[in-house]
Amino acid sequence: VVPGETALAFYKAKNPTDKPIIGISTYNVVPFEAGQYFNKIQCFCFEEQRLNPQEEVDMPVFFYIDPEFADDPKMAKVDLITLSYTFFEAKEGQKLPLPGYQ
Amino acid sequence: MSTAMNFSSKSFKPRPPDKGAFPLDHFGECSAFKERFMQCLRDSGYESGACRQHSMAYLQCRMERQLMANEPLEKLGFKDLIDEKPEAKPEK
Repeated sequence: VVPGETALAFYKAKNPTDKPIIGISTYNVVPFEAGQYFNKIQCFCFEEQRLNPQEEVDMPVFFYIDPEFADDPKMAKVDLITLSYTFFEAKEGQKLPLPGYQ
Repeated sequence: MSTAMNFSSKSFKPRPPDKGAFPLDHFGECSAFKERFMQCLRDSGYESGACRQHSMAYLQCRMERQLMANEPLEKLGFKDLIDEKPEAKPEK
């Protein structure tokens, strides 16, 4: 992936149970310092998504790395950025702690 | 419970996506486009830049099926691909 160039990535999620599940996901970027350069244009995260029993879906993320990443001396040794998602089951009345997201 | 959040002095602040969320493609309407894109990645040794034509086709598929808000492709970073091929859409 080249900084500044938009890119597409896919994750896959499966609901192995026999009940529909409503999930919501949040993400993490390592190394930590690279996270500020990671810009999501569109993704499946932050909103509740429903997976039916046994359903398997592709979950796309459309993003780019801020071109200023290339100018940051702290990033000079970073050639691998890992994006991970954690899915939580959304329960009625439960608000997830999402710092910084209003 | 392990989560993505750690409460150290440097806590990671997730930011929402610029253009919001993709609805799920429950019926796999765009799976074929995704497969072509993934195959391209495998063939190119996971060079994202080599497969941008396929990622553009995938997003176009979504837009045509109301799985993504319509957005001019130039604004999604595909301006150079549009200029190259003014009329043609990828075949198949």
